[in-house]
Amino acid sequence: MKKTYYLLAMACAGFLLLATTYRTTESKYGMVVGSPEIKSMTSLSFGPDGILFVGDSKSATVFAVDTKDGAMNEKAANVEIKDIDRKIAVLLGTEVQNISIQDIAVNPVSKSVYLAVQHSDGTPVLFKIEGEKITPVNTKSIAYSSVALNDVPSESDKDRRGNSLRVSAISDLGYADGKLMVSGLSGKEFNSTFRSIPFPFTNKQDQASLEIYHAAHGKYETLSPIRTFTTAEISGKKYLVASYTCTPLVLFPLDELKAGQHVKGRTVAEMGSGNQPIDIVTLTKGNESYLMMANSNRPVFKVDYKNIEKYQGSLTTPVEESFATAGVDFVSLPVTNVLHLAKLDDSRMVLLQRRSNGSLDLWTSSERYL
Amino acid sequence: MTKNRLIRIRSYPAYGLILFVLMGFCGCSSSSENDQIRLRWRGKAAEGVDIPQSLTVGLPSDSVASLLKVRLVDSDPSVSILGDYSVESKTISFTPLIPFTRGLQYEVLLRNAPVGTFAVPAADPADAPELLGIFPSQDTLPENLLKIYLRFSQPMQEGKSADYVALISNNADTLKGAFLNLQPELWNEDRTVLTLWLDPGRIKRDLQPNRVLGNPLQRGVHYQLLVSSEWKNKLGASLPKTYDKSFVAGLRDSLSPVPAKWKIMVPSSGTRQSTKVEFNEPLDYSLLAESLSILDKNGRVVKGKWEIGEDEKAAHFKPLGSWQAGNYTLQVLTILEDLAGNNLNRPFDLDVTKKRAGLHSDEVIKVPFSVAD
Repeated sequence: MKKTYYLLAMACAGFLLLATTYRTTESKYGMVVGSPEIKSMTSLSFGPDGILFVGDSKSATVFAVDTKDGAMNEKAANVEIKDIDRKIAVLLGTEVQNISIQDIAVNPVSKSVYLAVQHSDGTPVLFKIEGEKITPVNTKSIAYSSVALNDVPSESDKDRRGNSLRVSAISDLGYADGKLMVSGLSGKEFNSTFRSIPFPFTNKQDQASLEIYHAAHGKYETLSPIRTFTTAEISGKKYLVASYTCTPLVLFPLDELKAGQHVKGRTVAEMGSGNQPIDIVTLTKGNESYLMMANSNRPVFKVDYKNIEKYQGSLTTPVEESFATAGVDFVSLPVTNVLHLAKLDDSRMVLLQRRSNGSLDLWTSSERYL
Repeated sequence: MTKNRLIRIRSYPAYGLILFVLMGFCGCSSSSENDQIRLRWRGKAAEGVDIPQSLTVGLPSDSVASLLKVRLVDSDPSVSILGDYSVESKTISFTPLIPFTRGLQYEVLLRNAPVGTFAVPAADPADAPELLGIFPSQDTLPENLLKIYLRFSQPMQEGKSADYVALISNNADTLKGAFLNLQPELWNEDRTVLTLWLDPGRIKRDLQPNRVLGNPLQRGVHYQLLVSSEWKNKLGASLPKTYDKSFVAGLRDSLSPVPAKWKIMVPSSGTRQSTKVEFNEPLDYSLLAESLSILDKNGRVVKGKWEIGEDEKAAHFKPLGSWQAGNYTLQVLTILEDLAGNNLNRPFDLDVTKKRAGLHSDEVIKVPFSVAD
């Protein structure tokens, strides 16, 4: 009898083991195979193993899509495509003024460049660059999962609370340490939503909704929406390096970004007026690391992380008056009108630049910019 | 004559589905319905094209994608449009990744030899969008005005506001950089309401842009906001005219609205009269629509409809049922802002060197009122 129970127990254990194995292989990261209803692609960022996060501002949702593009490429070739917007327009059967390139991202594993393109009627198309070839990425019958950013209040919900800020535009996405970070802007409230969402997405989202303030020279404190961000290690501590709609560069210790906390960032640089930060990446050369920032009305800025480190001591005190006009030193690179940039590898980035002759070119920077 | 030529354009507006250009080749003029290349419509978008197999004789069904091409006329002949082909009994359907563009002409090629062309008609002027409103409505606005809303009758093309919206001061200079060039822009979900932010870096006191350039708006200066007739809706139809709004910049507003000071016109019991709430100042057009509710004595939301009026300085609530004698509460979400971004809990920029008297963190503010017998 005992033997029978033993065999039964073994069979159950075996079955469970098999079931678990089956689950992990068939639904990696909790994804299902289907055709995600992506209404817009306004922000792209890669996660682990070729998983692409697609920020859909229109439906205020982030999709995680398995690109199956997970083969390691140690030596990425330079990417260079001139007049890329015209080439894409012809492939789509339309004219260049009817499309816009919303974002670019590089798969850190395969080093392939991905582009999110939007037609003037709102239809989004995802492209992958392979050498000189621009190929569409199929977003039908793919493995995906998604997370909605807005709580939709029901008709009977009498306490529609102000804490569920409605995202109108996903301004940036980033993945670090098992978490997807999303910054969003609201079309109504002048406020910022910054969420840290564990990936794989689960039904029970542990979303950290943060209120972020930053101080202007220790005197005025304002709510402000984050435009773009990256993460970086400064003096052995991890930080969120964020740039705002009003251009200051602000640091937040990552471990302080917890749900419901009033987190005060420290403004380390103001980088000019009438300007919008577009993308930030961190590049390294030897032991030096640099923050590279593309701007709407300024050249690409390069900030040496060493200069940021120097201000470690004053994290909790008001920003000194001497920061008022300059802050951390930065260098303007001789590269203007960069619409997007993405990190290709440790020392190179891919830039989408409007040249002075009007051509929109995708090209790869060399180490000489570091 | 071997040149392809356009021989017929037929439109079936009553069906709203079919419009095509029929092609003949080799000078043929006796085409039947079966020879017609037809556009496939979804609403007003040409989402695909049906090519009769009579035009593709000898094309093996398993080689359609490699031998058949649809391309834009006057473009690089080696490039074919990306999309999906499907073979049915008498036709081959091609669905491009994005709908065909209004006003453009396309060509179908088999083994690189043309078999026909088709054109997509330009957008119908009857489908033109309108600009229904520019908010705030008032003609005197605070110099630290934060947002302007444009409300259209139809979904518009995105990412174009910097090209089509201009702010002119004193009828002379176009102000550059007054609005923040945000990409993606801040549209509502159906793409009919756009939020424009005046550069917050210039409004926030003490930030470098504010110190160097000052507010985007200067007190006492007259401005004209222009919305260009070149702006198109999603279908490609332009606004019928250039719209404008004139206003003058007034005093800076650095104070949060205080609901306790608002005036509530109390209705009579037993009636369905509208209740009017006066705010003493104009408030944010978009947030007003969702920030107000009235609760009965049991804390339940009274069903009815809010309407914003008097240049966003008042709102009217019309209940579905009758007012009962007794206590009611006006409940206001604290996210509600005035025209300068001061919400009910905190002003837009807070002077941290001063005492934070009156700073709240509540999610709602409640103002009681009573309906008399």
